[in-house]
Amino acid sequence: MEITMYHYLFIGLLLFLIGLLGSILVKNVIKVLISIEIMLLGININFITFAAFCDNIRFDGYIISLFYVGIGAVELAVALYLFYLMYQKKESDNIEKFSDL
Amino acid sequence: MIDNPVIFYSASVFIILFALLSLFAKNVVYSLLSSIVVFFFGALFFYVLGSEYNAIIQAAIYGFAVPVLIGLSIMFGGGKTNSKKKHSLFWYLPLFAGIFILAFVYLLMMSLVIMPDTFNASDVLQVNAFDTIRTFARALFVDYVWAFELVSLLLTIVIAGLGMLRVTKHRGLRNSRGGEK
Repeated sequence: MEITMYHYLFIGLLLFLIGLLGSILVKNVIKVLISIEIMLLGININFITFAAFCDNIRFDGYIISLFYVGIGAVELAVALYLFYLMYQKKESDNIEKFSDL
Repeated sequence: MIDNPVIFYSASVFIILFALLSLFAKNVVYSLLSSIVVFFFGALFFYVLGSEYNAIIQAAIYGFAVPVLIGLSIMFGGGKTNSKKKHSLFWYLPLFAGIFILAFVYLLMMSLVIMPDTFNASDVLQVNAFDTIRTFARALFVDYVWAFELVSLLLTIVIAGLGMLRVTKHRGLRNSRGGEK
């Protein structure tokens, strides 16, 4: 049983869909952020898969995935700080109460 | 690259299972712990795909640093969850888990039948690590040097911006307290 590129792409797609489902359904802000990170992980797996299977010379997918890790961590830090500020005002982690700034 | 069906299918089952658990767990702390497992399995996928450097970065940042950030924010929030409404999908989680475990056992048996000597440690040792690091260094500091500098600038701006937000908030609080007196 050989593992092909499509197996990895399917796992990336599943992770992306789970993250998308979570970011739509879940009301907790922290869980929404975790869902976004899971979506980004699915995208990252796709980048690495394409780099491993299709590009054996330049490894562009690996480099792009490194940039994603840096920017994803920054995005999470900013989002968590905003959540902290909003939580101090609203006293709630329900995302529906954060509709007004 | 390690072409091993047992590792691939077991990692796939666990990563999907823990991703679902991280979304539909009732407690936020359990969801955070599940997400740590998901990120570590993501790092395992990168390693299996032959990118050790990405695997280390993923495990270091998403396995350790990001959970610390999220854990701190849970602590600041008091660990309370105000969303008391139970999701109906939460009750389907045992069903998903059962299906995944059955699929995992089936695929494990199939892979053992088809490929009896599945795991070979020499595959791991054959990865040309030095060449990968050299390629990474050339790509980061020669081919993508502008993108690298831009991301560094972005990180610096974010750190400065967070500091400014903090200082402005403190000043605002101090002014409002002075006005009250």
